[in-house]
Amino acid sequence: MNTVLKVDNITKSFGGLMAVKNFSLELPEREIHGIIGPNGAGKTTVFNLITGVYHPDNGHILLGEKEVSSLPADVISRSGIARTFQNIRLFSQMTVLDNIKVALGHRTNYRLWDVMLGLNRFRRQEKVIAKEAMDYLGFFGLADRHNQVAGSLAYGEQRRLEIARALATDPKVLLLDEPAAGMNPREVESLIQFIRNIYNDFHLAILIIEHQMPVIMDLCTHVEVMDFGQTIATGEPEKVTADPLVIRAYLGEEEVEA
Amino acid sequence: MSSSKNKHSQALLAKLAAASSSWGIRSVAFLVCIALLQIAGDFDLINQYYLHILTIIGMNIILVASLNLVNGYLGEFALGHAGFMAVGAYAAAVIATKVGPPGAMTFVLALIGATLAAALIGYLIGLITFKTVGDYLAIVTLGFNMIIVNAIQNMDYLGGPRGFGGIPKTTSLIIVALCLVITYTILRNLVFSGHGRRWISIRENVIAAELMGINIYKAKNMAFTIAAAFAGLAGGLWAQYQQFITPKSFDYIKTTDLLVMLYLGGTGSLSGSILGVVFYMILMEILRNVLAMIDPRLAELRMLISPLILVIVMLTRQSGLLGNREWRWLKPRKEDSTDEYSS
Amino acid sequence: MEIIIQQLLNAAQLGAVYSLIALGYTMVYGVLRLINFAHGDIFMVGAFIGFMLATTLNMPLVLMMPLTMLLTALVGVAIERVAYRKLRDAQRVSLVITALGVGIFLENFVRIVVGPQTRQLPAQLPDSVLKFGSGLIITEDKIWIILISLALMIILWLFVQKTLMGTAMRAVADNSEVIPLMGINLNRVIAVTFAIGSALAAAGGVFYGQAYSIDPYMGIDLGWKAFIAAVIGGIGSIEGAVLGSFMLAGVEVFTVAYLSSNLKNGIAFGLLILLLLIWPSGIMGKPLLKKV
Repeated sequence: MNTVLKVDNITKSFGGLMAVKNFSLELPEREIHGIIGPNGAGKTTVFNLITGVYHPDNGHILLGEKEVSSLPADVISRSGIARTFQNIRLFSQMTVLDNIKVALGHRTNYRLWDVMLGLNRFRRQEKVIAKEAMDYLGFFGLADRHNQVAGSLAYGEQRRLEIARALATDPKVLLLDEPAAGMNPREVESLIQFIRNIYNDFHLAILIIEHQMPVIMDLCTHVEVMDFGQTIATGEPEKVTADPLVIRAYLGEEEVEA
Repeated sequence: MSSSKNKHSQALLAKLAAASSSWGIRSVAFLVCIALLQIAGDFDLINQYYLHILTIIGMNIILVASLNLVNGYLGEFALGHAGFMAVGAYAAAVIATKVGPPGAMTFVLALIGATLAAALIGYLIGLITFKTVGDYLAIVTLGFNMIIVNAIQNMDYLGGPRGFGGIPKTTSLIIVALCLVITYTILRNLVFSGHGRRWISIRENVIAAELMGINIYKAKNMAFTIAAAFAGLAGGLWAQYQQFITPKSFDYIKTTDLLVMLYLGGTGSLSGSILGVVFYMILMEILRNVLAMIDPRLAELRMLISPLILVIVMLTRQSGLLGNREWRWLKPRKEDSTDEYSS
Repeated sequence: MEIIIQQLLNAAQLGAVYSLIALGYTMVYGVLRLINFAHGDIFMVGAFIGFMLATTLNMPLVLMMPLTMLLTALVGVAIERVAYRKLRDAQRVSLVITALGVGIFLENFVRIVVGPQTRQLPAQLPDSVLKFGSGLIITEDKIWIILISLALMIILWLFVQKTLMGTAMRAVADNSEVIPLMGINLNRVIAVTFAIGSALAAAGGVFYGQAYSIDPYMGIDLGWKAFIAAVIGGIGSIEGAVLGSFMLAGVEVFTVAYLSSNLKNGIAFGLLILLLLIWPSGIMGKPLLKKV
């Protein structure tokens, strides 16, 4: 299978602090991989580097054949990388439907003049993405909330909406940053099923940062373990969680339950 | 049969009701009302002064609504809007007096020139402005307002600090109303389109917006340029109404007036812009007249009352009178709607 | 040569006044992240309080200045208490607009109560004319203004660096959420910040009224300039505010002297924009890190 995302030896420091050091990973087209590690290990920074929020000091990031490490974040997004955030970043004052519509912007090509003059091209395409957005919402069980303001949704629904929105950008790679944060075991089960459905229906590669081990164990075929900005272990979930180095890094962390 | 005839006429009535709620019909109805007012004024049935106030209100609504694009929908804090009005006013003044013979053609040309000139300046300033971050945007935009005013003061061709006069008074209430309708038609389309959604998403969460593939810099600049264009249009109307313009009338104080009306009415709401302007200006007029009736010296007190009202509104309803809600007739309806799923 | 020195002194005097105003802006911004648009008007109020004390009560400067500073400090604290405190956790824009409203209120209040005319504070500083060398003529009051202003700035610096309250102010500027957990009364720190900022602005107002003139709308122009100075220097930084103020005053004075007084605002703002493009956080400002 082809590698859709290749992170090659990236390093990033802020001021004097080395946040990420010599980090690499390879994500094939249709696999789910994970990144785990104690808080502050640099996991979210890796996501930020991949999506272009920051740029690596050294190393390369390739999406397919394309070098993306120095591209601006919006260009990287349009190239096919989507991502959700640890603390949900919805457009809170927009409706649920509008949140998806923003993501579907790439499906429209009407220009400013079309809008200002109210031309058919504009109106027609708006109708089209309205329908598409509703379809997305339907798939994610949020259709009846479409007119609600996104910020008023329940926490679990907001998470789903954020993921739905990310998928609406039609990505090749989906990065999920702690999707199970704040969820109880039953919700986590639900989430695992949810991600599995997405994986089956949308044909994409998924990279997950998580602290809740059931998510990693159930879904990922490969895991990178980070600590202090570096990879300390890599491999299958069962092997990695048994690694004494990993266990020591997590010593004191209560969430590790393989 | 009578029942089928009833159903038929019921259906017809329903269609009529639906059509009459459409934007086009409402605009025409609005213009007709204004035209009637204007005629009444011409025949001295209504005090011309009231029409004058309405004309000023109309121009201010255009200014405030355009400012709303940047400060409301986009969520920025730009402070130099009067500068673009100045560009439009002076461009129109020059065209109206020096380019063609007085008349409709020159008038329209002046307005177009005003809009384009302001748009160009807005675009250039935007290029620089959006390279700065956050709080500094306020000062940079204010700075450009001051620079524009200062520049005009130093151009003798434009009359310098003494002003530019002799502009024919071609703007009238009905023309302002027409421009207002055009402005709101365009702004309404924009705000409920992908472009509008982009701006709002930038306001709501700029990092997430970027990750939706939105080029933040370009989107901000577009809103800014459009806002400047409409400010220029208002300036062009203004110059050809007041007949005499000075640089000082477009400085920080004018910008402040616009800000007050904007935040009073509610950012992120085109209806709010109408409400804010109407409320503020009518309040000032009432205060001026009422206070003067008690004692002519009291009329000045209204200058204390208006900022107090602003402060009170901010302390009680932070998002202004309407917040970001729209009146029903402004939102896209199902018939001409681009979104059959919105309520 | 003599003329240049004279202009430098003019610039130093103006810069001193700008500094006194700019410090108030920068301190309030540091502590509340608020651009207090009313600050320029507080400066104006201070000038007018000084004016009233000097003219109606014939108070000598030695008495008038501290009293003016005290009274203006009270005005500043009152404004914070009444208009800003409730909005402390609200959207920043609401606070800024409220500040705008307060400023407009103050301008019109003073105008209605005292009248719109331009006035001047009675000369209360020793203003003997000093002659140096071959034709350098300086009036003594300029020196006094510069010296007293510098003294005030040094006192402020010592206060912020060495006293408990000053350290608390610096701590709040850094991270205001943690402060109550450290047993510091946040409200008091903020009140003190406003008091000091307003007092300094009042001193600036008195000096400005001595050297130039006062009118109800002076706060607008000068307030903005002082704010620009604070921004150029890096808002939140005391050293930056002073640096920016003297730079701005220098540019202004020399523009008026060698180009045209009509251009001074345009050039001042042009300079600001240029500097912000090079140093987006101001010359001595802290660069903002995006936290994602």
